[in-house]
Amino acid sequence: MKPWLQLMALGCLVAGHHAAAATVAITHAKAWTMTSAEPVDNATVVIADGKITSVVSGGAAPAGARVIDAKGRPVTPGLFHAATHLGLLEVSSATETVDSGIKSGSLGAAFDVQYAINANSTLIQLARADGVSRAITYPIHSGVAPFSGSGALLRLAQSSDLLDRTHIGVFAVIGGRSGGDAGGSRAAQWELLRSSLDAAKTGLAAAASPATRTPEFVALEPVLAGKVPLAISVNRESDILQAIRLAHDYSLKVVIVGGIEAWRAAEALAAAKIPVILDPQANLPTGFDELGARLDNAALLHRAGVTIATVVVAGGIHQSYNAGLSMREGAGLAVANGLPYIEGLKSITSVPAEIWGVADRCGTIAPGRDADLVIWDADPLEPATLPVTVLIAGKEMSLVTHQTELRDRYMPKAGLEVRVHKP
Amino acid sequence: MRLVVLAAAAGLFAATLGAGAGATEASTRIPLPFTTDPYPSTYQPLPRNDTLIQGATVLDGLGHRMDSADVLVRNGKIVAVGQGLSAGGAKVINAKGRWVTPGIIDVHSHDGVFPLPYTSGDMDSSDVAEISDPNAADTWIEHAVNAQDPAFVAALRSGVTTLQILPGSTPLFSGRSVIVKPVPVADVRAMKFPGAGQGLKMACGENPKSYFGEKGRAPNSRQGEIALVRAAFLQAQEYLQGWRDYESGARPAPPARDLKLDTLAAVLTGDIPVHMHCYRAGDMTTMMGVAAEFGFRIRAFHHATEAYKIVPQLKAAGTCVAVWSDWWGFKMELEDAIRENAAIVDAAGGCVMMHSDSATVGQRLTIEAAKAAAVGKRAGLKLPPEHIISWVTSIPARALGLGDRIGAIGTGRNADLVIWSGDPFSVYTHADQVFIDGALAYDRSNPRSSPGPDLLLGQP
Repeated sequence: MKPWLQLMALGCLVAGHHAAAATVAITHAKAWTMTSAEPVDNATVVIADGKITSVVSGGAAPAGARVIDAKGRPVTPGLFHAATHLGLLEVSSATETVDSGIKSGSLGAAFDVQYAINANSTLIQLARADGVSRAITYPIHSGVAPFSGSGALLRLAQSSDLLDRTHIGVFAVIGGRSGGDAGGSRAAQWELLRSSLDAAKTGLAAAASPATRTPEFVALEPVLAGKVPLAISVNRESDILQAIRLAHDYSLKVVIVGGIEAWRAAEALAAAKIPVILDPQANLPTGFDELGARLDNAALLHRAGVTIATVVVAGGIHQSYNAGLSMREGAGLAVANGLPYIEGLKSITSVPAEIWGVADRCGTIAPGRDADLVIWDADPLEPATLPVTVLIAGKEMSLVTHQTELRDRYMPKAGLEVRVHKP
Repeated sequence: MRLVVLAAAAGLFAATLGAGAGATEASTRIPLPFTTDPYPSTYQPLPRNDTLIQGATVLDGLGHRMDSADVLVRNGKIVAVGQGLSAGGAKVINAKGRWVTPGIIDVHSHDGVFPLPYTSGDMDSSDVAEISDPNAADTWIEHAVNAQDPAFVAALRSGVTTLQILPGSTPLFSGRSVIVKPVPVADVRAMKFPGAGQGLKMACGENPKSYFGEKGRAPNSRQGEIALVRAAFLQAQEYLQGWRDYESGARPAPPARDLKLDTLAAVLTGDIPVHMHCYRAGDMTTMMGVAAEFGFRIRAFHHATEAYKIVPQLKAAGTCVAVWSDWWGFKMELEDAIRENAAIVDAAGGCVMMHSDSATVGQRLTIEAAKAAAVGKRAGLKLPPEHIISWVTSIPARALGLGDRIGAIGTGRNADLVIWSGDPFSVYTHADQVFIDGALAYDRSNPRSSPGPDLLLGQP
């Protein structure tokens, strides 16, 4: 074959392959769309060019589409982790692999995690295989009051560039053991937060010179404009009430992260339309800020009309290392303690997308949304349930991880049986 | 060979240990002090009735599932399991549609010593371990346990009826453990499981060397850890020989009491089992080698994230592993932790159980088992509920030396039971009723059944 013919043939092949891959139909799905309290049974979800084009019960797969038969299994939007440090750490005890925060320096709110994202992290590989397609990765508490820095939205496709949106919000931690960086009092933390916002307002004012537009002020500009949230990690009721006051006084979009005593302030949070990203496992008085910890925090907040997303922290272990599995377990636990089932599902899919301002692109199974979907082998809120197929932008993701490779290397090949234990 | 040595040692001391289990009256001089308990349990069962639990799905903890089965409890013991049992005056509980299992056992807890709320004071000087020396074998964790730690209440309400409280893994010899029941009392002695032995917590790998190494002290390497462990056991051998000579009359006076060597000598005699924090395969095989060198057996490795790589060696040594379902990655020695660890060890004939190491995980040990089994099933293994319940009941019971008393639903066993609202491996299921020694210690339908911790009294 002449070289140009070869090239042409190759071109056709690639184009043909691309066309086939671009249209996908998931059939026989129990589709939890998050746009309704009930699933669409026997749903056909059609995907073209990485977007969902239709969700129809009993719908036909388009001619030429690649068909994935869900066999009646549940299908959900890809999981959306509302608050993690994915991409910013590998082995937390090996500090050179940790980029999740700063202990010193003047960056403040301008500390921006986007420059540290490691797409090859094994934590991301596992989160993806566990069905997480999007994640907010945010800085940990810094040593410099009042801000931790700016977070980013990741899309966990198999790609070297995971950044979906930068400057997704500015983060701060107040109370608990964090007061030391403000001189030893949470009062000072709130004052510093307010004075920083005041200073940024002044520095960014039209009349100010360009020189006053410091990196920190620039980072705070969208926060002050109410375009992106100021996410405040607080647990004690008094701090939650302070956060509500702050949101009111500065017309900010505030998100509470943690919120262990948020149930005590449920009415006020609902009135202020402030969402809470909470850990449904947190039922122990781990510190004096958490004396009111209870398992039905999520249920009580929902009942009062507060928007809630769920993540599991577990001393940081689950928040990043088992991001996908733990958030499902947490949502299941919230449901076990009174949260309606559909709200449990939404707390790990559509609600995080709403809180972080990207609900127009993801978090639901609806025409026009990104085709980030997971087929589960059973109820997705049961911890023992596993993903069967993970699609991101309509592409099937590999479920191979460091762990599955180890399993396959060491799994005994013969002689396995379940033993019955003798008394 | 090692077994012969052990048997000989046990034979020698069974006749002379005054307070040891199975001791005879042959003691002529003062008893060996290694295993006597100067602080015996003052535990009293909670007020109790005889009870007939009717019509439940019963997982007995020993591999059996019985549908529509009854369990009859009298005087704190299980007296019958079967169908159509007669109450004979016992209080009847209808458990139709619900599940009954033995009380859950957590072999690795720090409840009471990572007290809640955890404050700055605890950060400066935590009771979880005495860390002034890599050898804290003279410390007894029971001397620190706060019986009013809210974590015990949470454990009870989740179906846990027995916990082993272990000291933390900073020292190589971290101290003696204590086995407790999560009952609402004011002091630890009233929680102590009567007649239960202590264990010795040991640690290997990163924790001891990183802590002491950073302080410019030994050990600062894995090999340094092993050297210190061997040196300590050499001393313990001498100490033990001194006692043996005294017992046989070959020396007139007993050796001067040494609390560290007391503990290590009791390990050498087999009276105190070793529970060892280790992650890496090589760390575990090295420690099994040390145990063989000194003629004892390691009862269980805890965490043991690479157990799946060395199941034959674990089996040969008769050593169990206590594991999580999914913790990994946060230290170098956890890099190769896999979720299939428990399933692989189990399927290859090893001895495995779930543990918590966390007051939060400790409230969901059945979910730990469910998660570990799920990935095992994905890998083709058969792990039904009646089997995996043993990972949190009968197997930890045996690891604690209490296999004849707890961890199973059978005639003559302690009536430590949980009535679950449904399948105990589902996240939606609650522990409806929890019995300890036949007493209803928690009833979900009656909040007054289980008092909350003192800490929270008067809280809004």
